[in-house]
Amino acid sequence: MKLLPALLSHYRRHPLQLIALVVIVVLATGLWTGVWELTRQARHSMEQSEQAIASRYQVVRTDAQPVTVADFVGLRRQGLCVTPWLEVRRPAPEGQVIGVDILSMGCFQEQGEMASPPDLNQAPFVDIGEAVRIAGQGHDSRLRLLVASAGAAVPDAYRIRPVPGGLSTGELADSFLLNLDALCVLVLLITALLVRSVYNLGLVQRRSSLALLLRYGVPAGRLRLYLIGELAVLAMLAAVPGVMLGRFLSQAFAAGFGQAMGGLFDVSLYAGGNQWISYLLALLAVFLVVIWCALDALGLAFAKGQTSRPGARFYGMFAVVLILAGVTGTVLSQALWQVFVAVSLVLVGTGLLTPGVLSRLVDWLAVRGGSPLILWSRRELAVMLRRLALPAVALQLAVATVIAIQALVATFESTFLDWLEQRLQGDVYIEVPAGASLRPALDYLAEAPEVTAWHRVQRGVASLGGRRADLLALDPGSELLQAWAFIEAVPEPWSALAGGGVMVNEQLARRENLEPGDVLSFSIANASMRRPIVAVYADYGRPVDEILLPHSALPDIFTPTFSSLSVQIAQNDVPVLRQQLTERWQVKNLTLRDNDQVRQLARGVFEQTFSLTRAISVLTLILAGCALFLMGWVFFTARHWYYQLLQVWGLSRRELRWRLQLQATGLTLLVAIAALPPGIFLTWVLVARINPLAFGWSLPMAVYPLFWLEMLAICGAIGLAIAWLVQGTIKSRAPAPLAATHIEGAER
Amino acid sequence: MNRLSGYRSVWLVVILPLLTACSPADQPEAGFAGLGAQLEGRSEEGPDFLQPAPGDRVSLPRDLGPHPQHRFEWWYLTANLTTSEGVPLGLQWTQFRQALQPRSPEQAPPPADEWPLQSAWMANAAISYQGEHVFQEKLARGDIGHAGARAEPFQVWLDDWRIASLVAEGEDSDHERWALSVNTRDWHYDLELSPRRDPVKHGKKGFALKSETGQASMYFSYVDLAISGTVTIAGKTHRVAGEGWFDREWSSQFLQAEQEGWDWMALHLDSGDKLMVYRLRKQDGSSFRFGTWIPRRGKPRALRGDQLTFEVAGSRQTELAEVPVEWRVRVPLAEVDIRVEALPGNYWNRGVFPYWESPVRVWGSHQGRGYLELTGYGDTE
Repeated sequence: MKLLPALLSHYRRHPLQLIALVVIVVLATGLWTGVWELTRQARHSMEQSEQAIASRYQVVRTDAQPVTVADFVGLRRQGLCVTPWLEVRRPAPEGQVIGVDILSMGCFQEQGEMASPPDLNQAPFVDIGEAVRIAGQGHDSRLRLLVASAGAAVPDAYRIRPVPGGLSTGELADSFLLNLDALCVLVLLITALLVRSVYNLGLVQRRSSLALLLRYGVPAGRLRLYLIGELAVLAMLAAVPGVMLGRFLSQAFAAGFGQAMGGLFDVSLYAGGNQWISYLLALLAVFLVVIWCALDALGLAFAKGQTSRPGARFYGMFAVVLILAGVTGTVLSQALWQVFVAVSLVLVGTGLLTPGVLSRLVDWLAVRGGSPLILWSRRELAVMLRRLALPAVALQLAVATVIAIQALVATFESTFLDWLEQRLQGDVYIEVPAGASLRPALDYLAEAPEVTAWHRVQRGVASLGGRRADLLALDPGSELLQAWAFIEAVPEPWSALAGGGVMVNEQLARRENLEPGDVLSFSIANASMRRPIVAVYADYGRPVDEILLPHSALPDIFTPTFSSLSVQIAQNDVPVLRQQLTERWQVKNLTLRDNDQVRQLARGVFEQTFSLTRAISVLTLILAGCALFLMGWVFFTARHWYYQLLQVWGLSRRELRWRLQLQATGLTLLVAIAALPPGIFLTWVLVARINPLAFGWSLPMAVYPLFWLEMLAICGAIGLAIAWLVQGTIKSRAPAPLAATHIEGAER
Repeated sequence: MNRLSGYRSVWLVVILPLLTACSPADQPEAGFAGLGAQLEGRSEEGPDFLQPAPGDRVSLPRDLGPHPQHRFEWWYLTANLTTSEGVPLGLQWTQFRQALQPRSPEQAPPPADEWPLQSAWMANAAISYQGEHVFQEKLARGDIGHAGARAEPFQVWLDDWRIASLVAEGEDSDHERWALSVNTRDWHYDLELSPRRDPVKHGKKGFALKSETGQASMYFSYVDLAISGTVTIAGKTHRVAGEGWFDREWSSQFLQAEQEGWDWMALHLDSGDKLMVYRLRKQDGSSFRFGTWIPRRGKPRALRGDQLTFEVAGSRQTELAEVPVEWRVRVPLAEVDIRVEALPGNYWNRGVFPYWESPVRVWGSHQGRGYLELTGYGDTE
């Protein structure tokens, strides 16, 4: 007898197992490749952008007029290394473009200021001539002259200034990417667990035929070798379409995601780069899982049936210890890696504990049930929970991850919108030109019928015990500020501010352990002040400390580094406002932002960005659902002898179908319910632990019960699908006698 | 002289990123054919570039200025100088214009605030001193003022590098003087240049052939410039004086595909005579030779290929390629049989397209000095 055909004949008899294994490897590889590729691209883009932004200093005119091509030419002809940088704000889906003049950038490298310049040959960069043409279609644009060195000597009519960040959310993007990474690692682990569980189930089912081969004299070593070889070939064959699937997924998502990141965070996403690394990593992951599975093949294939688990109690204890240690670690950790280790402990513990706890619970319910049928039904469910422990845990963790991703996305979204509202007070934001007097604008705003409310914003620098902090000055009486949400505040915080208080941002409050009621000492323009803190406000995405004061509290000699106006207008008459202010200030190019447009744009691109994370979570769920579905189907099919027996004993077909549905949905719903605690835990860890440790500010914690119901419905649907498939296999005829090999090692 | 073959590659490197930046999805092949196709494509859509024709004439001072109807042109200076300590110092400055679309001289350029890209400019400069060779290169877009050229008063500039007439408007232009200023972070020079004889028009009144099949350029030179000024290198400023050679050339025709590079030299002989010769090498080993003999007195004489021989007499191994640095040049009708050899050192101009540009010494039937330019020897072509 030839060993290979004999070995493979198992799949001829059970093609479903082969299909299940192939499908799971294809999906897993696809998911790994796609997810890895997307996060790699996002990270790469982020680094590129940071490099581009790192040395961004610009030359501005001292007369506050916008710079023009003539300024560029004049400065270049005086030997100064400057290059034009034209930002054109264009709404999604096309997004922002940046016009550059590659020809004039050589001196930046020559001066060593751009040792590794951003790749300007790809989006969002275009030739500046093209950018001018795009701007001509009615999009806002702004020309800057970037200078190679912040210390360069410039003619008297110019000054060097850092390029302001504008609406860049900086760390918010970093934080999002970090959380995405953490979730991707989790997805990877869950997927590995699923692949292994599907393989393991198949292996257990082959145990009898493998034992037969051993009895026929096939050496155990040879058999193991063949099994591992079979597994390796299968994995490699399935990995190829998997990689292609992943590539397709990443390409499909990259366009939208890249645009979103580019538009929102000044992060550009390049579809190029070395994608082979992603493929190799996906293949490496497959390889590692194969080794894991192979260990099963080596150890399990010939083991005696594990009818009882003497260590079950020990496992339970061990799991509880793991969870406790993990939760403690998560709370107490002071470093990111410690949090990740602690979270892993909690997840491992949960995985070990859940099947045992659920099956005991169901067993306990069973003896309290009424009829023998209910007793049997519940016992059967408990058996299933133990037999399908691995895929059930995988589904549990997948659902938990999906819940966490959804909460993270929703939290980010609402946080971002809050932040946006805070930043975009009023309908229109107007930059006061440097050196311009406010008076003409204030006179106009006071009289203009279209203006319903407005207030002034001044920015400057304060000193906190010798340390620099940003200073924000506002008018506490402005009705535009009433929507501000505070993390902590005294009652009536704006009145308290006007009455001698100070507000601080979350970063400062966390660093100095400050809270409302504490007294803060600081100095502005060499004038010392002591004021009680009246509120702590969220200030996402900025690493610096900031204090907020009313204009009236500023010393007379204080000079703002930057002034702006926020204006609320009755009807959307931005062009009139622009024209009036341009005339009154006598400037050519006024920076005026229609906040509503920005808001809409930001919402649009944010939605686009999160479609990626949603896609990852949906894919994870599909994978987990597929695994459970496949295994559930295999499992139920193997046990349909019992169901037929029930039918023979007099149970109606309809009633049997009902029992089946109850059992299958009971299984998946129990798993989904069990996923809630780890899901909430993961959400909490992401927003309340990882973010503060990484960035110094936290996101508000929120839970979304409606989404939990959605998850339960999806899991229920998976259960129904299993039941629907299984009931098709139950015939009305009497069951054939059960073969010994079917029941060997099985729990009855 | 002719730099067509090499600079097509230079411009390929310059223009390709621009083209790809404008249309990331449309990646032309990295090769001369890619650039050629792009440019040909453009010329089909709009008016054609003006081609040099046998009847074309050089007209001064007009032709010191730009030729926007032609595809490319350059202003090119080599100088054999001596420091006040008596040490030889070689110096070179070149500025190129490459058009992406032709424009008639009467037509106004597009507004600068549109950042047009009808032409791109490149300037490079080098100093060769005591075996050291320093080089720098700059790029700019045309028509916005960043780089450009003007015939009257004569001026060519890119950034703060520029050559400009010192003769005020209305002054006697028979005594033309130019100032050349080049600044880099590590070295710079300021020179004054005075032509000592009328410009020499090569070929037929400036129409200079580049192949048997009629490829040509318009080409004239100031072959005898008196030069003085200062050169600062390695932190030390030297007073320098000597002689220079200034080329003006424009065309719209690339070389033929089988022409792989050229060898060019311009020589100042101690007899007071000047000699310019070049050959365009073909892949099959043959070459197209051309030259101009400029006697100390009398009319310059164009040299056909059969009136001169031009042979490699020795090579030097460098990091980029083996370079033919020693030559035997014979012009029987002028009784010239000379050896020309690059001074010791490594004279690669390592810009976007590396080429060899070295000061040379001359011995044999005549003594003298001059400049040698070689392209197509590196592995970049």
